[in-house]
Amino acid sequence: MTHPSELISAYLDGELTPAERTTLLHHLAACGRCTSDLEQIQRVRSAVRSLPLLELPEGIVPEADRVVVPLRHQKGLWAGVAAAVVVAVIAVAALITPEPGSVSIDDLNSRFGARASLDPAFGPAKVVPPFVGSE
Amino acid sequence: MRRVIVLVVLLMVMPASAAHATELDELLTRGHEASYSAEQVISCSTPDGVRDALVRIDQVGGELRVSSTVTDDVELTAGAGDWALSRGGGVVAEAAVDGAQTKSAPLYTVEDGGAVEYLGRAALAYLLIRDGEPRAELVVDDETGAVVEAVTLTVDKEVYCERRFVSLETEIPEIDDAVPGEATATPSSVESSILPDEISGFERLDQYEDEDGFRFAYYSDGFFSFALFETPTAVVVPEAATVELESGTYIRSFTAGQVTYVWETRDGGMALVGDLPPDMHPAVLDAMPHPEDPGLFRRWWRALFG
Repeated sequence: MTHPSELISAYLDGELTPAERTTLLHHLAACGRCTSDLEQIQRVRSAVRSLPLLELPEGIVPEADRVVVPLRHQKGLWAGVAAAVVVAVIAVAALITPEPGSVSIDDLNSRFGARASLDPAFGPAKVVPPFVGSE
Repeated sequence: MRRVIVLVVLLMVMPASAAHATELDELLTRGHEASYSAEQVISCSTPDGVRDALVRIDQVGGELRVSSTVTDDVELTAGAGDWALSRGGGVVAEAAVDGAQTKSAPLYTVEDGGAVEYLGRAALAYLLIRDGEPRAELVVDDETGAVVEAVTLTVDKEVYCERRFVSLETEIPEIDDAVPGEATATPSSVESSILPDEISGFERLDQYEDEDGFRFAYYSDGFFSFALFETPTAVVVPEAATVELESGTYIRSFTAGQVTYVWETRDGGMALVGDLPPDMHPAVLDAMPHPEDPGLFRRWWRALFG
């Protein structure tokens, strides 16, 4: 089975002919992979559309002072693909970046305790029990 | 021998107290080298409530092991730059540092409290005074040099922490080696620091950095001490309270004999761990980088990339 993946973005952009649209819908009804691709692209587009619109400060781009074109009003395959790539890169970076470990009290105590044990005053008068105290 | 020299320098300020400082120094040095077992009660009156504990102390050859009198599950071993916490027979946190500076300017004078009897044994009492205010009362066992009683005081002469031996045996205790853990923090001493050299009489003695991204400086006034950490990520503090000081909002946690403050600055996480009394906290924290909201972007960046 061939997968008309190039038609999916065009379909979402409303750029298919009636015949192409019918062909794609028939294919989607029988193809889980393309249906999944369609849903994924839709989610990415929704995520991009939910981002706030920011206006550039005046003067940074002279042309932008005359006409501000919101991203969501742009149509076309390349804008969607570019946005999808940006979101995908961020998502992949978040997935492959190791979860930063939190620092525990034991981590701090071990270092403080090691250094304090070199202190001339170290001894029973300075020992801190490794148990939580009571109220 | 180095400890003898160090503590003599630390405590000797006036000729009248010099003899007592030397005497106390010799006793404490003997205490470091003595072998004994004891049970110690610790009770601290903190702004967040009472923190207390009953612990068993075993010391052999300068290594001191602290364990619960109730369970064998948790043990702490410390001495000569090593520190290890064991739970369930295995080491869960440990660190080792070497080399250390000592405080150059003596702040404490030593007053002789005379001969006393403690647990039916001959002992000597001392009073440590800083800036004219008594800050610690020590009772030292004459034979072993062990500090059998230590009471630390606030500037208002109220008791902050009391530590008292309730039993003392001078037979050599048996200390088993703990099962080594996988991770050992070995902070390396570094020269430069953006932190102040001196804060309210606390001198920055040295600073360290290790592979885990921890950087910390160690401060001491000759008796009390604390470490100031720059932490790579957020610190998880159990049973903590949020406190407002003039310098900002902090997460604070007291245990028996120790306080921990945690806060964030624009540049990262910070924490203070030490045994200084509560009246000293505001001035010390005020001299450190103040708490500051890092902002959404920085939080997101740290969450992603640490």
